[in-house]
Amino acid sequence: MGTKYLTDGPVSQNLISHLIEKIGEKTDSGGHMIFLGQVRADIINGKEVKAIEYSAYESMVNVEAENIKKQILSQFGDVKSIDIIHSTGVVSAGELSLVVLVSAGHRLQAFQACSKTVELIKDKLPVWKKEIFDDDSHMWK
Amino acid sequence: MEVKVFFFGVLAEVTGTGFKHYRDVKSISVLKLRIQDEFPEIVHYNFRISLNNEITDKDLLLKSGDEVAFMPPFAGG
Repeated sequence: MGTKYLTDGPVSQNLISHLIEKIGEKTDSGGHMIFLGQVRADIINGKEVKAIEYSAYESMVNVEAENIKKQILSQFGDVKSIDIIHSTGVVSAGELSLVVLVSAGHRLQAFQACSKTVELIKDKLPVWKKEIFDDDSHMWK
Repeated sequence: MEVKVFFFGVLAEVTGTGFKHYRDVKSISVLKLRIQDEFPEIVHYNFRISLNNEITDKDLLLKSGDEVAFMPPFAGG
């Protein structure tokens, strides 16, 4: 996959560990905020979501993720770095489909910028999801 | 001339494909008409169009090698 913003399948513990390991290099940061997005076993019309299948426009994800990072860095002067990784493919209920890690000099902007980053991802990232139910039917969100 | 067209989300299901080439389409409006002829159900869906990774609502001219995407509302995060 030709992008650092997408991973095939669920966001793994290894991936999260790898992001956390790099924290030690960020000696100008005093606070880090991680958001983990998970597939929820929603019940819709009596059917339970067993998985979500994500698809993405990879080249545009690259463009838009970079735009999101620029916007966050411009809006929050204390933010030092932002990591964004979104799943593609099938992610089962209970598994993770998104990780956002924001590092800032101080905790206030780490909290605020992480929240804003997630909102921008939901608004701007060209990703689509298909809910797959326990009876194998599906619905596009 | 030939352009690459991507169909995402539910539109990939409606058209039965994620990707097609179209020849001799000089503008976005011409491309849209060609696609609506081929897949009439597409008119029932909301979507935006991007040209070379930039969303546009203008009827831009197309050139060979351009990449157009038909994108339903995003649902990531």
